[in-house]
Amino acid sequence: MANRPERSDAFLLGDDEEKIEYQPDTKVANAGTFTLNKEDHTVGNLLRMQLLRDPQVKFAGYMHPHPLVNRIHLKVQTSTSQVAPTESLSAAIEDLSNETDHLITSVTDAIEKWKRENDTGMM
Amino acid sequence: MPQQRFPKIEIKHIAPHEITFVLSETDTSMANTLRRIMIAEVPTLAIDLVEYHENSSVLNDEYIAHRLGLIPIRYSPDGTLKGGDCHQAFVPHRECVCYDRCPRCSVEFDLDVNFDKVNMSRPEQERDLPLTVTSRDLIANNVQVSPAHFLNEEEQDNAHDEGISIVKLGQGQHLRLKAIARMGISKEHAKWCPVAVATYRFWPEITINQEACNNLTMEQKQELVDACPDRILELDEITGNLKPTEGAEELATFTEDLKYAQDAMKRRPEDDDYVQVTHSTDRFLFSVESSGAMDAEDILLSSLRVLKDRLNYLAAEVEKLKD
Repeated sequence: MANRPERSDAFLLGDDEEKIEYQPDTKVANAGTFTLNKEDHTVGNLLRMQLLRDPQVKFAGYMHPHPLVNRIHLKVQTSTSQVAPTESLSAAIEDLSNETDHLITSVTDAIEKWKRENDTGMM
Repeated sequence: MPQQRFPKIEIKHIAPHEITFVLSETDTSMANTLRRIMIAEVPTLAIDLVEYHENSSVLNDEYIAHRLGLIPIRYSPDGTLKGGDCHQAFVPHRECVCYDRCPRCSVEFDLDVNFDKVNMSRPEQERDLPLTVTSRDLIANNVQVSPAHFLNEEEQDNAHDEGISIVKLGQGQHLRLKAIARMGISKEHAKWCPVAVATYRFWPEITINQEACNNLTMEQKQELVDACPDRILELDEITGNLKPTEGAEELATFTEDLKYAQDAMKRRPEDDDYVQVTHSTDRFLFSVESSGAMDAEDILLSSLRVLKDRLNYLAAEVEKLKD
């Protein structure tokens, strides 16, 4: 197993790596590709689906080049030059972050509620 | 323009080892993200490094080290047997400032079992039988950390737990080692995986077209009931109408049998379906089963925290791109 990649390569950013890189598209207006290092379908699909819900996003797609390549490419095209792909991505992340916040409080409440209603004394 | 959703959570059942809940008003991408995080990115403790002082057992060092690694390690912060989230109590060892290891980033377990010494104190009828070294022989240097044995006090009182077997020793054999547990995620190694099962299924939407059903005879209705191997339909005893059984949502397997059975009953193929069972696109029934390293409800909360931290990190990185 001489050429086995380090297991931690899947989640630890290398010294010369940036978490996110952005490459504007040379042929299509208002479009560009984000490269998210050390990410996979977990975040890729979540961001893609959230971007697609944005009416100002014309195209959003992601690609995980290979199971052993620990990065994803996220391609975004917006419908107007008023909104840059970076801004759409930023908004998508913020919405998801708020959604997660909302989930954290609702899960905590739901667990408390369940325990109150089903007091088994085991907790 | 914000496109935020406000998902709902409805808990079906909580036990220390298991949680089932319904996640609704969001989409598959969120459900799948949560599932993937619970499987691969929730941090737990597991034995990662073993120093052998003596091993004259029949198994080699690596073999025993592997077995030790797979033992679920529980972190119980508040003196109970509850398996909590260890991420605030420990630092990932790669990020720790210490030279080799310290109590901030690792837990040491000592194990010292000498067959000849233990044999003296065993009951007469058990003398000279092989001695099993188990996870109970692991002594931690941190009172909040122990190999997973019991999920709660009740279980501890009733069970006759003998621990997780590691190796059997015979006469003259001795095993002495120091095992170091660290915090990690199962993207690195499956031993850090907190869940045995983390799955979700689509909530079934069972629609019964009563109007169309009125044209069916009781025999035909019974035939539809019998066509479902998952028993999601029943006949109402009073009205004789078809209705979903209690808990049908949890039973439905989206089988094709129902479709074939009702297609055969239709006068024309283009007639409306009598019963339709379809996947809901925004409602998911989750089932999470713990490996023993953490309580199931804490796995769920921890996965949400991991997702939140990740999104905050990405948000900060995107901000950097804007400059």
